[in-house]
Amino acid sequence: MIHIVTAENRHLFRHALMEMHVQRKRVFIDELGWRLNDEMGIEIDSYDAEDVVYLIEADDARAAVTASARLLPTVRPHLLNEVFSCLCEEPPPSGPRVWEATRFCPAPGTPRGPARHELLLRMIGAIMETGLLFGIERITYVASAALAPLAEGAGWSVAPLGAEKRVGREKLRAYVADIDSSGLKRVREALGATAPLTRFTPGALARAA
Amino acid sequence: MQARLNWSFAEMCERAQSVDEVQEIFMREVRRLGFSYAACASHVDPLNPPEGAVMMLDYPRPWVEHFSNEGLAARDPIFFTARIQALPFRWSDKKFRRRLAPDQIAILNAAAEAGLRDGFTIPIHAPNALPASCSLVIGPDDIDPLSPGQAHWYAVYAHETVRRLLLKLAVTRPRLLTKRERQCIELIARGKGDFEIGVILGISQHTVHNTVRRIMRKYGVVSRIQMFARALRDREILIEDVAD
Repeated sequence: MIHIVTAENRHLFRHALMEMHVQRKRVFIDELGWRLNDEMGIEIDSYDAEDVVYLIEADDARAAVTASARLLPTVRPHLLNEVFSCLCEEPPPSGPRVWEATRFCPAPGTPRGPARHELLLRMIGAIMETGLLFGIERITYVASAALAPLAEGAGWSVAPLGAEKRVGREKLRAYVADIDSSGLKRVREALGATAPLTRFTPGALARAA
Repeated sequence: MQARLNWSFAEMCERAQSVDEVQEIFMREVRRLGFSYAACASHVDPLNPPEGAVMMLDYPRPWVEHFSNEGLAARDPIFFTARIQALPFRWSDKKFRRRLAPDQIAILNAAAEAGLRDGFTIPIHAPNALPASCSLVIGPDDIDPLSPGQAHWYAVYAHETVRRLLLKLAVTRPRLLTKRERQCIELIARGKGDFEIGVILGISQHTVHNTVRRIMRKYGVVSRIQMFARALRDREILIEDVAD
């Protein structure tokens, strides 16, 4: 189950959010060696904020987190227009109906190969479901050479925003993907999923219960 | 971090008339962030704080008594680390625990038994203040990852507000030393002898000697090193004035 965490319900997911930041530190800083800031054992940056949407895969709010991703609004500074603008030939798509997907993070110790690929596919399905729910039409993202073909073949319609470039130790390329129900159908078929991948727990309702 | 700063906290602190009021506001706000216990305080014996010490403390009473009775302030690994670094640290962090002595690890374990299991500490370094820090214990419902940034701001702000209130309440003590006496200590700390000091200040070597004797008498100390230490502690001179 992939939980949609927003400003409204994030108080229900403090534990999962903390776990996500700890995992991001272990995966991006300890394992991949990205030059990110870590404070008190967690990776957190200037784009992390209350009103950002997080997708967190876990059985329930206090269970072990198996994967996470972050969806940034593009109406304010985000990675593609600040950090990775060099990857775009033209200014990247932005606006109230465009989100940027960043920090896809499989839990440390997720075995490489099929398990990881399926995790990515589930996360893409979850991004599409969430996008449809929030009226988002396009998603931009940056992928490494290893991840890009998998993301491209997930079932959504994807177009590159520029050529592949070497950034640090990795070859990166920026993409934009369409969010539509036919794409979601294809992703779900690839996964053999018959039910929604995501769940949104309303903040106020859960508080009343 | 784009956590929304709670500006009303600053306003509430500004309006507070007493130390207790600031403490109440501070404790309420950190609880709201999900912390179960908090100590924003100078590094002193919590039950016998010296004048000017900040003591916003909401820790389990048995632990505070144990801490005071055993004189743990002298060995507390949290005080120890907060004094030598500026950035917050989490108690579970390996980097923090690695440099501790066995008896300091034992203090952390005993604190955990008393309910202070997991948390983090914000070092507070304010000019002319006793060494201080703010320790926050993470409650059973965990904290939002954006909360430490917010708490950091609360801690520094509340500490400074209390310190200002204490300064207002304190009886202002006149300075013990004269300008000439302070000049002599500064020059001694810069490695000058009585003859050189005399030349620099345009007085006789003999007068310098007598001035130093007078300071030592005022302080009740027997050596120039002791005299320097006292002057530093009393902030008659600042370390920045004599070491560059």
